[in-house]
Amino acid sequence: MHLLQVENLTKRFGGLIAVNNVSFHVDEGEMVGIIGPNGAGKTTLFNLISGFLDPDSGTVKFKGENIIGLAPHKIVNKGIARTFQVVRPFRHLPVIANVMVALKSSRGARKIEWLKTMERKAADLLEDVGLSELALEPAENVGHGDLKRLEMAKALATEPDLLMLDEPFGGLNPLETEFLTKSIIRMHLDEPSRGIVMIEHKLYALMKIVQRVIVLHQGEKIAEGKPEEIAKNERVIEVYMGKGMQHV
Amino acid sequence: MVRRYLRRGYSSFAAHVFDIPPRFMVFLFLIVLLLLPMVGLAPYYLSIIIQANVLAIFAVSWDLLVGRTGQISLGHAIFFGIGSYSTALLFKYYGLPVWITIPIALLTGSVAAFLLGFPGLRVKGPYLALVTMAFPLIIGTLLKWSPLIPIFGGEFGIRGLPAFFSFLPDPTPQVNYQRIAEYYLTLFLLFVSSVIIYKIANSKTGIVLVSILDDELASKACGINVTKYKLMAFMISGLFGTLAGCVQTHLLHVANPPMFGLTLSFAPVIITFLGGIGTIYGPIVGSFIYLILDKYLLTDLLPKLCEYFNVTLPDEFVYAKLLIFTLIVIILVIKWPRGVARFATDKLEDLEEARDLDERGPRIWKRYKRKEKN
Amino acid sequence: MLIEQIIVFGAISSGVYALLALGFTLIYGVSRVTNLAHGSFYMLGAYMFFVFSSFFDDLFGSGMVSTSILALILAVIFVGIVGILTYRIAIHPIVGDQVAVMVVTVCLALVFQQLILLIFGPTFPPVRWPAGSFLVISTLILGVTVQYSRILAFVVSLGLFSSLFVFITKARIGKAMRAVSQDREVAMLMGINTERLSMLTMALSAMLAALASILITTSTSMSAGAWMWLHPLALSFSIVILGGLGSIKGSLIGGFIVGYAEQTVAIVVPEGGAIVGVVPLAVMVIVLLLRPRGLFGKRVELEE
Repeated sequence: MHLLQVENLTKRFGGLIAVNNVSFHVDEGEMVGIIGPNGAGKTTLFNLISGFLDPDSGTVKFKGENIIGLAPHKIVNKGIARTFQVVRPFRHLPVIANVMVALKSSRGARKIEWLKTMERKAADLLEDVGLSELALEPAENVGHGDLKRLEMAKALATEPDLLMLDEPFGGLNPLETEFLTKSIIRMHLDEPSRGIVMIEHKLYALMKIVQRVIVLHQGEKIAEGKPEEIAKNERVIEVYMGKGMQHV
Repeated sequence: MVRRYLRRGYSSFAAHVFDIPPRFMVFLFLIVLLLLPMVGLAPYYLSIIIQANVLAIFAVSWDLLVGRTGQISLGHAIFFGIGSYSTALLFKYYGLPVWITIPIALLTGSVAAFLLGFPGLRVKGPYLALVTMAFPLIIGTLLKWSPLIPIFGGEFGIRGLPAFFSFLPDPTPQVNYQRIAEYYLTLFLLFVSSVIIYKIANSKTGIVLVSILDDELASKACGINVTKYKLMAFMISGLFGTLAGCVQTHLLHVANPPMFGLTLSFAPVIITFLGGIGTIYGPIVGSFIYLILDKYLLTDLLPKLCEYFNVTLPDEFVYAKLLIFTLIVIILVIKWPRGVARFATDKLEDLEEARDLDERGPRIWKRYKRKEKN
Repeated sequence: MLIEQIIVFGAISSGVYALLALGFTLIYGVSRVTNLAHGSFYMLGAYMFFVFSSFFDDLFGSGMVSTSILALILAVIFVGIVGILTYRIAIHPIVGDQVAVMVVTVCLALVFQQLILLIFGPTFPPVRWPAGSFLVISTLILGVTVQYSRILAFVVSLGLFSSLFVFITKARIGKAMRAVSQDREVAMLMGINTERLSMLTMALSAMLAALASILITTSTSMSAGAWMWLHPLALSFSIVILGGLGSIKGSLIGGFIVGYAEQTVAIVVPEGGAIVGVVPLAVMVIVLLLRPRGLFGKRVELEE
């Protein structure tokens, strides 16, 4: 049984097909990347899986259970966590309180170790992503790169079995990118059974992390395979660069 | 140059006075309020503060829902009215005493909050504002409908409700024990309500409420059952709103349609804009400003000043009162959208920084002057 | 007999209600302003018509339809100017904050209410067409006695509504309004002066409310009063929510549904006239709980 099984997922918006008959799976401990030009339907796919959108047809099974139609918070409490492409911090709350919100969810609260307080766990999570110094700073005063890490901390607070990252490297400078790459790899090593799915545009960073890549274009899956294979795939190159540029 | 010295003078004064943590300010405020009846403040002025206390309970409950959880309610009067009419009807038909009717009324209010909140809170933003606004208006209109007048008393409402302290001696020209007792009762209730709501607002649950205010979607993505928390906030808010209604009914001895009225629903909006939204002290300060502005400055002080200066007020002045009042509110909202009290505390924080700089100032200047000489 | 009454009177008030709602939805669509003083423009329309009519009556003697029409035009223009001033002074500074706008406009509504009380006192001036004119004569439609003034109201409102519909779809300014309501930033980038357009829309909105007011009060037995802004406000909200915020088609159809619902309650329910105000509110609550975007609302767009 796969950790996540998506079958024939389709979503239309009016006349536009955003996700067209997409199927893929993620196993325990796998790191999968999803790439594709803008508008390919990657974030929509995330929204469908995490319960923020309902599909027109198709199924999504998590640990064998069909999760279509469940409310987003219920899906989180089953073990899927996601980050957002455009960061969504709780502006009025200090950084540590942002994490504590996630710890107040039923799964988050359950996963707090015996004898640890919520504040302690939140502080630990901040330390894991390197945000300890900013713990008491109101989120609205925090810079973009740090907010990206905060997104990560919030997602990790519920100790998900499947972590979905939507453009985690967006807007980060090379130093931050390198730090985050190391963090993600460390996350994987710490929790080997956790599956990670990543949408990302920065292909060089993504390809270093993931074991398998899925390519979407205009809502359809056009390729799937190991990073090296995908990099050489003609159709993929064509889709990213436009026809006639394969040999560039 | 002079300005700088003045600023230093003021900021050192501020350092001594305002460098006190806010809790102490609250304590001070409380002490003043506690002592007022004892220094012989006239019953008329006491009743202004009594009204302010009740209104403050109402406003604080509203602010928990709107300022903390972000659910815009323009119909908070519904709870006030439910509290008011519940206790009135229980007295009218069953003759029950106050200490039984009020808890039942509170229960009714909470149940109403649950029933209304369940469908209502699914609705977003401006739409929620409209739905909430409509509920009390519908009930208010129905109360005046002829077939229902025998039950609800129509426009005049239900009258003859008992006072809280009827067992105390009747008011004399020298002293009004009942009024004083009511004063302390409402103050006590305000204190208890504020503390409870404060504790909730600053707990971990309160953190979740703010997350809903900031970004409902992100809150859901953190696994929070947003509807559950909204409903909880709505019910707590409704409970204390109902309490305000019950108390007011027994202070005024009547339950009438204005208790479901639009003016009442909008009062917390204006109050929080005056005092500062999303805080606990804001609605309290705002309520006092609102009532003092309305009942004291305009109704009492201004006529007296006019008498003093031999200016006669035209009869129409009674209409001008509300006019002036709303104009002042409009100006305040346009100038300080975050609330006057908030503005004041922000300014105080700014002053604090200035104080630090000024203290460090002379030493830096000396170094600078030395550099210039070289 | 009852049914005919409902049909005829329902139709007449519905047309006017549609105009009223159109004004409300236009300013929301273009500037995202929930104008709680919309009812006040309605009220001002009636009062200014009274003022101008009385003025012309004193000048020229009463009984002339032409002066009444002039009074109507002047009243509507006056309210339009008030609308522009309101926008410029009270709304423009805080136009980003929807809640602040609501607070300010409702305070403004109270200000207008009190001003009316100050100037006119708590009286109820009758707002009428001249007594001798043909507008007061009745005719029979479907066996129901109807004054010509009501028929005029119906014809004018539907005529105006269609003209505005054409205006918004075809004219440049109309298209600009639609553009701004769909995407304000892009419209600005395309060179549309959104602030000027907002003021214009506000003027139009206010004028529609004023016109609706004059049409209704002259044709029914209602008088003006300082509290007459509440019912039209509830109506505006209700119709616009039912029809869909920002939808013109919605204002029309919503207007008819609410108008007929009101008529039915007024005629069928015992003492229904007193609780007529509940109808728009109840409709609004039901719509918001079942289908918040209304019949034709698509988030916030001015559509055809």
